[in-house]
Amino acid sequence: MSVVSYSDLLRFTLPEIAVMVAGLLALTLDLTVLRRSATKIRFGVAALIGCVGCLVAMYGLTQAAAQYSLPDGMFVMTPLTRLVQIALLAFTILTVLLSTSTRVIGHIGEYVALILFATVAMLFLVATQNLLLIFVALEFLSLSLYILTGFDKNSRQSAEAALKYFLFGGMSAGFLLFGLSLLYGLSGSIELPRIAAAVSGPVLDPLLLVAIVMVTIGFGFKVAAAPFHLWAPDAYQGAPTVSAGFIASSSKVASFFVFGQVVTLGLASAVGRGAFRGYEPGWVPVLCVIAALSMVVGNFAAIAQTSVRRLLAYSAIGHAGYMLLGLIAHSPRGTSALLYYVITYALAALGAFGLLGALESAGIDRIADLAGLYRRAPGLSLCMLIFLLSLAGIPPLAGFFGKFYIFAAALEAEPHLGLLWLVLLAVAMSAVSLYYYLRVLKQVYVADGAADAGPIHTPLVTRLVLWVLAGLVVLLGCAPGLLLNRIGP
Amino acid sequence: MTPLAGCLLVSALLFSVGLAGALTRRSAILVLAGIELMLNAANLNFIAFWRFGAHPEFLTGLIFVIFSIAVAAAEAAVGLALILAIYRHARTSDVSEITEMKG
Repeated sequence: MSVVSYSDLLRFTLPEIAVMVAGLLALTLDLTVLRRSATKIRFGVAALIGCVGCLVAMYGLTQAAAQYSLPDGMFVMTPLTRLVQIALLAFTILTVLLSTSTRVIGHIGEYVALILFATVAMLFLVATQNLLLIFVALEFLSLSLYILTGFDKNSRQSAEAALKYFLFGGMSAGFLLFGLSLLYGLSGSIELPRIAAAVSGPVLDPLLLVAIVMVTIGFGFKVAAAPFHLWAPDAYQGAPTVSAGFIASSSKVASFFVFGQVVTLGLASAVGRGAFRGYEPGWVPVLCVIAALSMVVGNFAAIAQTSVRRLLAYSAIGHAGYMLLGLIAHSPRGTSALLYYVITYALAALGAFGLLGALESAGIDRIADLAGLYRRAPGLSLCMLIFLLSLAGIPPLAGFFGKFYIFAAALEAEPHLGLLWLVLLAVAMSAVSLYYYLRVLKQVYVADGAADAGPIHTPLVTRLVLWVLAGLVVLLGCAPGLLLNRIGP
Repeated sequence: MTPLAGCLLVSALLFSVGLAGALTRRSAILVLAGIELMLNAANLNFIAFWRFGAHPEFLTGLIFVIFSIAVAAAEAAVGLALILAIYRHARTSDVSEITEMKG
């Protein structure tokens, strides 16, 4: 245990404090001064405060020293963490802007404040290498997300989604905490690098294997990987659209980053191998099984869906499978490929959900309702084309390069193409995913809609956010170096 | 049997009971109780590892437990609120009847 000076703590966590203060301010103002104002004004003020808070935090991050840390791995800042934090803040700004045009939400201050609190939790989550802080931040994030999921009080589906999300989440928190307690017991430390140093040895402790499985269950739930994915379709379908987009984008980026930190730093001495005819126990083979299951379950279940949101949810499970390949590669290239993939995926997913939110006001939820959308909303249809084709992995959009880098990193990871079986499966499943994405696009562009359907009006802010997201997907696809060069090798 | 092994056995048993309860109970509140048991089993682990570990003078395990108890309390609060929210709509807290969304 070492002494931490409070002034250092305050200085290092200034970005988090800025977002937290913005959240509390938005909440207070909405509940006091603006209580009787029109919804539009309340949303405008809350969103403005939220955006300013995030921008201040971003500015603080760019001004801070490139590398610093607090004792016991409580707070570790590297250029990579800073990049992820800035990305998370950018996602929060876009989410807050998207939320301004939703109609179903009555408690505006609370909604924006919860999004900002979840962001604070994610900022801490990515910047710590300490088990205690990881657990507390993860639970803080989860609790905020449960409430955001159940925010639509008038909808039974929203409440049901939140309850299912909560019950599965609570159970996975139990597994995670139990796994962390075993790690602490085996190593006597709660700092990730020290755990790895303490548990190293030629033969793995059976208790360590139990810990690996339990920690994987805990994080597997957070990233919605099969077989811990059961909450995802219901949560994505029932939650208010913006909440679903937030869960699919930001929380996925943060969860994958911290999952990567825990396995690569904390379990560095129990890696193992998942190669064909080259099996060794460790966390890699466990992740191989989960990745393969997620890709198969997610992509095949998505084919059968009639609701667009459920389709996106199952495809998210499939994408979690591809992303796990980046962790399985267990190399710097794998990590940078994973980060590129998850950030570009989050752009497209947030865009797709934002789009569904805009279409919701026109009563569109099922794939069949999308018929003739091209005539009713050409701009939105183009955005949808970009998002879905990027998710499917069509060049020159960002999703293609994400898949390319992550598959290449996985192939390089083992000598003699040991992971070829997994990469082949991933490529085959990408082909399956193209089918159901194209099925949606066929409804939008080819099928004839009802003759009396008029054009769909979308608020300006929503349109702007969607165009920014679509533009970023195209830009990062045409010039992947913009992001990749900052991430690493 | 050393005291540590005894504690770990008890906590493993507690965890299994909690998991079995969470998986088999139909009332959402009892599922929540099962989850709390799982968390408390992990807490017991932390205390045992701290007390019988190499460095009981560092209070790491103890502090971890204090934090996790607070987190569990917050989780119970949110969980009960969500159970209330679904009860308003469905007039039941039976998880086997809360199945409007499927597929």
